[in-house]
Amino acid sequence: MKKFEILEHVSDLKIRAFGRTKEELFLNMLFGMSENLKPETKDGEKTKREIKIKSNELSTLLVDFLSEVLYLSQVNKEAYFEINFKKFSETEIEAELFGQKVERFNEDIKAVTYHKLELKQKEDGFWEAIVLFDI
Amino acid sequence: MTITKQNFKKINDFLWEIPKSFRQDMKVPARVYVSEKMLEEVFRDESIPQLINGATLPGIQKYAIAMPDMHEGYSVPIGFVGAIKIPDGIISPGATGFDINCGMKLLKSNYSEKEIRPHLDKLATEIQKEVPSGLGRGRQIKLSIGEIDKILEGGTKRLVEQGYGEKEDIENCEAGGRLDWADASAVSSYAKNRGRDQVGTLGSGNHFLEVQKVAEIFDEKIANAFGLFKDQIVIMIHTGSRGLGHQVCTDYLRTMIPAMQRYGIKVPDREFACVPFNSPEGQRYFSAMASAANYAWANRQMIAYFIRKAWKSVLGEKTSPLTVLYDVAHNIIKKEKYLIDGKETEVAVHRKGATRAFPPGHPEIPEKYQSVGQPVLIPGSMGTASYVLVGTKEGEAAFFSTCHGAGRTMSRHEAMRRVSGQEVVKELEDKGIIVKCWSSRGIAEEAPIAYKDIDEVVQVVHNAGLSKKVAKLIPLAVIKGE
Repeated sequence: MKKFEILEHVSDLKIRAFGRTKEELFLNMLFGMSENLKPETKDGEKTKREIKIKSNELSTLLVDFLSEVLYLSQVNKEAYFEINFKKFSETEIEAELFGQKVERFNEDIKAVTYHKLELKQKEDGFWEAIVLFDI
Repeated sequence: MTITKQNFKKINDFLWEIPKSFRQDMKVPARVYVSEKMLEEVFRDESIPQLINGATLPGIQKYAIAMPDMHEGYSVPIGFVGAIKIPDGIISPGATGFDINCGMKLLKSNYSEKEIRPHLDKLATEIQKEVPSGLGRGRQIKLSIGEIDKILEGGTKRLVEQGYGEKEDIENCEAGGRLDWADASAVSSYAKNRGRDQVGTLGSGNHFLEVQKVAEIFDEKIANAFGLFKDQIVIMIHTGSRGLGHQVCTDYLRTMIPAMQRYGIKVPDREFACVPFNSPEGQRYFSAMASAANYAWANRQMIAYFIRKAWKSVLGEKTSPLTVLYDVAHNIIKKEKYLIDGKETEVAVHRKGATRAFPPGHPEIPEKYQSVGQPVLIPGSMGTASYVLVGTKEGEAAFFSTCHGAGRTMSRHEAMRRVSGQEVVKELEDKGIIVKCWSSRGIAEEAPIAYKDIDEVVQVVHNAGLSKKVAKLIPLAVIKGE
């Protein structure tokens, strides 16, 4: 299964992510975002961050989760590619993020938007979401 | 509903209108400033439906307006101008965007191309060394939260007080580089943290520095008043409020989307996240936006300081200094007054990818430009021309606003599929343009083929009378931060 794909957009970054579960969907969208920051990671330096997010519904929870991770990436100069969800509901996440220190990002993602946000479970039970990032 | 050219009424050769009757929820007509040829191209993306969405905003006056450099964004298109009545209307963080006070600053020298040409490469190298992108290596200064608070409330003024500029830099800046309704307590600690190490950083994407020469003068009298002459070396700065501004918008969207529902406001895209202008949430956002705008002015001021340092280190301590022509935002919300239906009306003008262009005699422009009008700075895409325009009386039809640049027509991916970074760099070098970037990655995304033709865009606003051409600038060196 593909983790995510980039969709055409004239000026911004539009990502469709997939997952067998909601948790995997969130993780794969995180991959999509982290990869598109185009980080040059430093060898060896692993980092761990704790996050707690609350939102009104699952789709906005995804955006708010990504915004939190983006904030941590930029402030700590780290890229995250692993996550351990300690709590995951429709409106709340508690998790540990694992990442690496970054030498530089080659792309600046300004923000995660709610624009035309889509999150759904398909008939085959798989999950899919589309998020637009302002770059 | 499919929109075609047939849905537009021609107002004149450069102005087209979709009447209010087109969609039931429109409160005003939607107007686009384009040539007939450009009108054929506006349907390639979602710009027009997004502009129509903008025409539904509660309190919007006269028209929802799009400039010729419009392209699809979120909520409204980039290139949007909407004047929303105070106090009955809304304020919308989505309709001004994440990069609060993204804008332009232009530094003038007393030298001609001939005099600088022998030093150009060294100058470009030195500028690149001095001005970091803020995304990686390069200068690392981390300011305290207390210092960030002072910048949020003091803008350019705070930096000049500390020796990072001249008194004239304040005067030659929109709003004197400081909006006095800024309130640092309206800005989250997240936003402040993102801003701590980014004062004086360029960012990435379409943000750039260019050493340019004045290639053509269109209006001698006004060029003279602006201190511009043919072959003159000038330096252009394009950047905004960086992570701090992005976080302010993110924070307020998050609180305003649920608040919008509480206020019973219905809009076609939740990214508008609008609330009544005078509501507590609206007022707090307006103060936070002003704080981020002040941060952006401070950011451009600090970059100017670094460039001046590079300038002196290459040309000598006694070289004649770089002075500021002007500094102007193209993503911002400002309170302004207009005559609407015969009555003076206060409006919150939302400009998202549109530049304010005040006419001669306007009280908000520096005294020395009073007789000619406000300088307007329009960057081209990388390696193409940029322009200095001037505000006009006729610009009132668009709430004294004009375009902000070339405007994208192609996705970054498509651009990268078509050309490589190396090809773009080579093409620029073949034209005699020096390119200083730490890597050619990302350069392809900004290739000129991904943008509209800046000359056509500027010609439309010139012919439409929104602002008049004063000078054309062409790049000699393009610099992206380290």
